[in-house]
Amino acid sequence: MSNDNGPEFLGKNPDGSNPGSRTNNDPDLQLAVNREGQVLAMEELAETEGSKAPTRSAPKMSFGRWATQLGWRHAVAIIAVLFALFPILYIINVALNPVGSLSASCPPSKTGISALTCLAPSTVDFSNFTAIFNDPLKPFGTWFANTLTLALVVSFLSTLMSAAGAFAFSRLRFKGRRPGLLALVLLQMFPQILAITAIFILMTSIKEVFPLFGLGSVWGLLLIYLGGSLGVNTYLMKGFFDTIPVEIDESAKIDGASHVRIFFGLVLRLALPVLVVVFFVTFTFIFNELAIARVLLPDLRDTTLAVGLNTYVSGNLQEWGKFAAGALISAIPMLLVFGITQKYLVTGLTSGAVKG
Amino acid sequence: MAEVVLKHIEKLYENGFHAVKDLNLDIADGEFLVLVGPSGCGKSTALRMVAGLEDISGGDLFIGERRVNDLPPQDRDIAMVFQSYALYPHMSVADNIAYGLKLRKMPKSEIQARIKKAADMLELNDYLERKPAQLSGGQRQRVAMGRAIVREPAVFLMDEPLSNLDAKLRVQMRAEISAVVRSLGTTTIYVTHDQVEAMTMGDRMAVMKAGVLNQVGTPQEVYDSPNNIFVAQFVGSPPMNLVQGRLEESGDGVTVKIGEATLEVPASVLDERPGLRQYLGKDVALGLRSEDMEDASLLKEVPPNATLKGTVTLVEALGSEIVVHFDLPGEAVVTDDTKLVAAEIGGDDAIDVGHTGGVKWVASFAPRSRVRVGEDVTIVADIERMHWFDAHSGEAIRG
Repeated sequence: MSNDNGPEFLGKNPDGSNPGSRTNNDPDLQLAVNREGQVLAMEELAETEGSKAPTRSAPKMSFGRWATQLGWRHAVAIIAVLFALFPILYIINVALNPVGSLSASCPPSKTGISALTCLAPSTVDFSNFTAIFNDPLKPFGTWFANTLTLALVVSFLSTLMSAAGAFAFSRLRFKGRRPGLLALVLLQMFPQILAITAIFILMTSIKEVFPLFGLGSVWGLLLIYLGGSLGVNTYLMKGFFDTIPVEIDESAKIDGASHVRIFFGLVLRLALPVLVVVFFVTFTFIFNELAIARVLLPDLRDTTLAVGLNTYVSGNLQEWGKFAAGALISAIPMLLVFGITQKYLVTGLTSGAVKG
Repeated sequence: MAEVVLKHIEKLYENGFHAVKDLNLDIADGEFLVLVGPSGCGKSTALRMVAGLEDISGGDLFIGERRVNDLPPQDRDIAMVFQSYALYPHMSVADNIAYGLKLRKMPKSEIQARIKKAADMLELNDYLERKPAQLSGGQRQRVAMGRAIVREPAVFLMDEPLSNLDAKLRVQMRAEISAVVRSLGTTTIYVTHDQVEAMTMGDRMAVMKAGVLNQVGTPQEVYDSPNNIFVAQFVGSPPMNLVQGRLEESGDGVTVKIGEATLEVPASVLDERPGLRQYLGKDVALGLRSEDMEDASLLKEVPPNATLKGTVTLVEALGSEIVVHFDLPGEAVVTDDTKLVAAEIGGDDAIDVGHTGGVKWVASFAPRSRVRVGEDVTIVADIERMHWFDAHSGEAIRG
């Protein structure tokens, strides 16, 4: 790329990998560019990432030059945004329509381009939203609370436990380290859904001894999710930890830091981008997971959002309006998590991909 | 302040690699000892064992009066400076320096005082609030030093601390580190593969090869009387010139034959090294440093039977001296050691241009010399300063 990246892009990626930022006058970015070495790059990911958008005076240029050098990018971006917004507009439209069917908001007479006008909500009616909260057989509030609990607890624990495992694999030398790593690689190749029958039998038996963690319990599902996410997360993080120089640990050791302090105070701090990625990916996965949840939490009065919402559209009676309303509400936590973590996501994802 | 004693220290890795073999060193209180050797010689491993970052497979390690083999690093009263500096990237310079003190629960006022003192000494006052990423290489190096200094440890351990700096900065930091360490009077073990650092910085230097300590002594001692061919070649730049020679008895004297040339061995040399007589009629390896040769045409009086002839392949005029590369007719000394040193200094094929056979030698002449590439040159060798080695074992011939 040449020197004309958009300022927004620069603001999110001051990691020196972007040659465009070299010409920038913002002192923060200059520093980011001038950094040498891995740690420093990581430090800056954790520290100055997205801290401010650089101020940049637009150079004066003719429209033709602007169009060929910058303008076409805007055009591509606008098309991409429209493409992504289409289903969202559609679902908002459906959710606000009391009739609750996919075709109701658009009369058959409208075809082709004119059908696009149907995307603008023709009615604004919140009856779908009130309905889903007032159905004792399909308690949306419980689903929401269950899913949010599952996603938050599993993401947090999984991040912490994977980090601990990754620290051991990356830093300590012990018997069984290599077989352990190999096992992780192999395990992460098989999706958890392959074991669904075994999991079902396991949970059925557990229910007889510990009903709290057995079939039909959110806590049981939590354990299954947690186990399923550990393998791939540990491996991903181990790759990232390996890029943090061991000398930092050793230096801290000589300074008098314990393993615990090195882990929490240094390694986790320096690995923040990958921790955020692991948290976000796990959170998203659990919010969307349907197959395992449907087997382990079949009771609609106490299940997850994915399972519950699915029942609105999978039976004989298809209530697209309620489904759309529920889906919109359940998108809010994910948007929030994304908003909080997004400044780490781009760099974290790529560094995990390359170095993991 | 403490002395460091290594007694029969061994490092044997689980995969069978014997990194350090029977290492014995007495480092006096306040001494600056430089541990030098080619890469992979075990010098860093030895240092890391002193630091406590590697387990000691055998032998005893004493710091002061205490045997510290089984003490964790933080209890050994040492501070270490790493090649990569190993600064904590998320902490400011001041926090980096204070980290070890905070972990030791030192009172805040005392920490501040020590940071101030170290910052004054290392001229870091303007940078205390910066992050390591905002510092230049030399400044980061100073922070790493500061982190070691504030601890006021019994021993400083430095693992190639200048390797990541550019050449000019290295010279400057070399002097700075020496000055700081000497002003503190702390016992220091300094590991490097750079023989210039070893020569200039240490009170004594210890030369290691393949896990074995080859020689310990002041830099001048090691330079003037190396124990073996490896030390002779590794210490000094350019490396000591070597050639095969044959010792012969002629009349009542002794001569050494190098290729076609015959040099007379003065009685003083034989008196100094009585062992030489056992090599009469045998091959020896001869070593001569570049400064112990002179262009014969510059001397009013050329001593008889003390000259070598060679063909000049490269002339480097440095102003104060002229470095002349020439081919000396004769047989090269090839041992594992010479190969190791050649590999370490990047091979000697750099001066292959115009090579006419024989042995590649380097001499430094007075700047008045007018030798030219391609010409033959007559060289006066200072036989008194010649080094004699067993051609097979590479050990110096002395007693």
